[in-house]
Amino acid sequence: MLTALTFLPVAGALVMLIFMRGRPSAYKTTALITSIFTLALSVYLAARFRTGTAAYQFVEDHSWISSLGISYHLGIDGISLVLVLLTTLLSVVAILGSWNSIKDRGLAFFISLLVLETGMLGVFVSMDLFLFYVFWEIQLIPMYFIIGLWGGARRVYAAIKFFLFTFVGSVLMLVAILAIVWWYAKNGGPLTFDILALQQAGFSGSLAVWAFAAFFLAFAIKVPMFPVHTWLPDAHTEAPTAGSVILAGVLLKMGVYGMIRFCIGFFPEVAVKAMLPVLILSAIAVVYGAAMSLVQPDMKRLVAYSSVSHMGFVTAGLFTFNQQGIEGSVLQMVNHGILTGALFMMVGFFYDRTHTRLIRDYGGMAKPMPVAAAFFSLFVVGSLGLPGLNGFVGEFLILVGVFQYMKVFAVIASVGVVLGAAYLLWMYQRTMFQQANEKWFSLKDLSAREIITLVPLVGMAIWIGLYPHTFLNLLHAPAQNIMAQVQPYLAEHGDSLLGLAGSFFGGF
Amino acid sequence: MQVPDLVPVIPELILLVAACAVLLVEPFLKTEGPGRGDKTAVMGIALAGLAGSLVVSLALVGQHRVSFAGMLVLDDWAVFFKVLFAIGAGLTILMSPLYLEAHRRHLGEYYALILFAVIGMDLMAAARDFILLYLALELMAISSYLLAAFFRYRARSNESALKYFLTGTFASAIMLYGISLVYGQSGATNYVAVGQVLGGQGGSVAVLFAVFLVAMGLAFKVSAAPFHMWTPDVYQGAPTPVAAFFSVGPKAAAFSAIMAAFVVAFPGAVKEWGLLFIVLSIVTMLVGNVFALVQTNVKRMLAYSSIAHAGYLLTGVGAMGWAGNSYPGQGVMLYLAAYTFMNLGAFGVLAYLKSQRPESFDHTLKQMAGLGRSSPWAAVLLSLFLLSLTGIPGTAGFIGKFYVFSGVVWAGLWWLAVIGVLLSAVSAYYYLRVIIYMFFREPEGEYAVKHPISGGMAGSLAVSAIATLIIGIVPSWLWDAVGSAFITLFR
Repeated sequence: MLTALTFLPVAGALVMLIFMRGRPSAYKTTALITSIFTLALSVYLAARFRTGTAAYQFVEDHSWISSLGISYHLGIDGISLVLVLLTTLLSVVAILGSWNSIKDRGLAFFISLLVLETGMLGVFVSMDLFLFYVFWEIQLIPMYFIIGLWGGARRVYAAIKFFLFTFVGSVLMLVAILAIVWWYAKNGGPLTFDILALQQAGFSGSLAVWAFAAFFLAFAIKVPMFPVHTWLPDAHTEAPTAGSVILAGVLLKMGVYGMIRFCIGFFPEVAVKAMLPVLILSAIAVVYGAAMSLVQPDMKRLVAYSSVSHMGFVTAGLFTFNQQGIEGSVLQMVNHGILTGALFMMVGFFYDRTHTRLIRDYGGMAKPMPVAAAFFSLFVVGSLGLPGLNGFVGEFLILVGVFQYMKVFAVIASVGVVLGAAYLLWMYQRTMFQQANEKWFSLKDLSAREIITLVPLVGMAIWIGLYPHTFLNLLHAPAQNIMAQVQPYLAEHGDSLLGLAGSFFGGF
Repeated sequence: MQVPDLVPVIPELILLVAACAVLLVEPFLKTEGPGRGDKTAVMGIALAGLAGSLVVSLALVGQHRVSFAGMLVLDDWAVFFKVLFAIGAGLTILMSPLYLEAHRRHLGEYYALILFAVIGMDLMAAARDFILLYLALELMAISSYLLAAFFRYRARSNESALKYFLTGTFASAIMLYGISLVYGQSGATNYVAVGQVLGGQGGSVAVLFAVFLVAMGLAFKVSAAPFHMWTPDVYQGAPTPVAAFFSVGPKAAAFSAIMAAFVVAFPGAVKEWGLLFIVLSIVTMLVGNVFALVQTNVKRMLAYSSIAHAGYLLTGVGAMGWAGNSYPGQGVMLYLAAYTFMNLGAFGVLAYLKSQRPESFDHTLKQMAGLGRSSPWAAVLLSLFLLSLTGIPGTAGFIGKFYVFSGVVWAGLWWLAVIGVLLSAVSAYYYLRVIIYMFFREPEGEYAVKHPISGGMAGSLAVSAIATLIIGIVPSWLWDAVGSAFITLFR
């Protein structure tokens, strides 16, 4: 089942490659149908998913490289399921959204998107470290091409920066993977790359600290956390619309997902020691990202920096290790995926018409494009946390979680929320209202296809905003599982700032 | 006189017969002017010889025979390398005619020289005696010098051969001096006998000096820094298929010799030679990757990249010595197999491009611009091989690096693995740069290809690409083969 889900997009891509070269309407339709089928399959899985248990479901386990204990092991829990749903939904949106904007080498573009979807799904369903790493790295290639081939003016620079940042983090993670696997094999455990088995290993001492650091760096680059976020504004800005949607919507989530699975799953003690440092970095990211957003002249870059700020919320919530914080964190990932994806989509729609992303080139857009302005306003207020829409639910839960842990961070995070309202509303005001730019009076409003692209995102935003229970229900059990893992260490290390720094060199 | 057991050398005898047949048949072929004409017959003989050697080698799997008074053995270790060399040489020969044709130097002795080099490489892997190792190395080296000079009317080709010859003979001499010291210390040249004598007495200064000198000679052949100076010039000047062959064949042969000789003959000084190779590997990875960064010529970049890969391989050899255990060596063997296909493929695409425009194309990055449009197949294949060289999962290159660094971490040298992976992240930059030019840039001049990839070139590239992917996705069988081959080294 999960195999079918994961490889369905690639199968569609193969069909397109073999049978539909040079027939744009055929391959576009096939790409869309493939992604819709994948979405349907993931919804079907969600319907059959048993909530209330942290156990992995729909498990598939086959031996792959038996001499090293590597297996083809798939399975999902509530957290993975939520992210799988997000991935399949945003893939449909991305394909629909780039229907007419990609003219050059369209076949390669849609194939890249589908291969990327397989890579992302693979990351979320892998239960084997080796398999996880394979998917983790493989999705770099299609994304690299999406940015480099169909991106903006500085696309080559952005593509290589994106690739190298992620690659450096991942290769260090590879060494950490090898180190923990061999340590476990030499200290009484079996030689295995199985994630569940390794979670039982109980890594400790300096190995755990260094391996945690390597994993954490790889994921922090992906999230991206301050100060390794510098690839993000370039990549997001230069990527084509669909690329930005997927990048912000899903790829960033892979970083947090990795933290949950590995940083916390393998090294709960070190993760607890890292609580305070991570919260400090997250707080910096929240405020810094928001402050940077305020001063961006480029709409896309503004949304990109807002991602840094919002992902700061996500990591902050996760590392409070209480029920509200963790659930809010995962839910906020979904919210951020939907809303930021939608914002990038809107910017893309405007760009398709005006070929500029600079805020000062716009103005009065609400007049020629009232429907677009309406959609845009919904996503803007959702993103700044208006109650009734999804952004509020996630931020609220995270703030509750952070407040319980340390009040000062809740205050700082609230500042981030306020700044968020400032830069988003200010941007909205300057582009949609104010002095109208005559050049744009003749612009057409959103087409039916564009509206269809946005409707599912609006639906999700309202659904999660009004009835988050559907999704939170999936997260209760995994969140409790995470809390149970870190519980033994919380009292001892919960608020130590230097505990982590000290243990780096404890073994030497 | 007793006749030695000839079974272990049947693959080499087949190659010898084929090489002589090539030389004898070629004069009777019709020529259309110097260096032109239909050479299918000699090429067929050479390929048949390699195929015969391959099949016989495979048929000899599982056998253990010692012959020529212990100088030479037949075991799975030797068979593994014989198969690898036969495949590598076969792929090289398949990609050659188009290239030689375009340069009007399509001569039969080319094929004979490759076969002779393969005989030398086979014997290097099978040798269990320093004297035979030296002879086999020279057979391989002299054939290589001639191949490097094959375009004898070209200054670059001559420069390439001369550099290769001078530095190569110098390295051989140093190694020979080392061997003589080994003989002086142990009174033997047979690996096992040397190991028995020297194993007990540990690392005395004289032994270490001998080990050092032998290591230097072989380090030259694998183009480890600081003995790498010849590599870029030789690769750039030599005909591209020849450069492809150099970068995989002699390198793998030298690695087989390093592992067999050092593991069996110098067990008393494992820590020391392990450390020596670790140091060499760090320097080699650094030099290869850093110099590759600044190359604007793709062929030269691949030369430096082959130095970098020698560095990754040496980490495995070093870890083997440091841990006093052969386990990391298995990763090295697997890497060699993976490397053979991906590097031959990368050079093969360059050879194809060069054969399309022999006069104007000189492998610079600029001329690769826009290849994604003008020749999508060549661009896609080259991207695959380059991504494999980078070490992206799903390709042989990742599996190779994974196993080598896995062995290195296993040996407790995680910091060495960190250096290795960080430098391979550096390598991503220069490999991706080629992809950037091929796909993201528009061509500046007219470098369109004349003919699509076809014939032997297509076959060779297809085999390389498929092998790169198969090893990348289902490596288990290869790992098992490597494992069973490695054990036989200790019988």
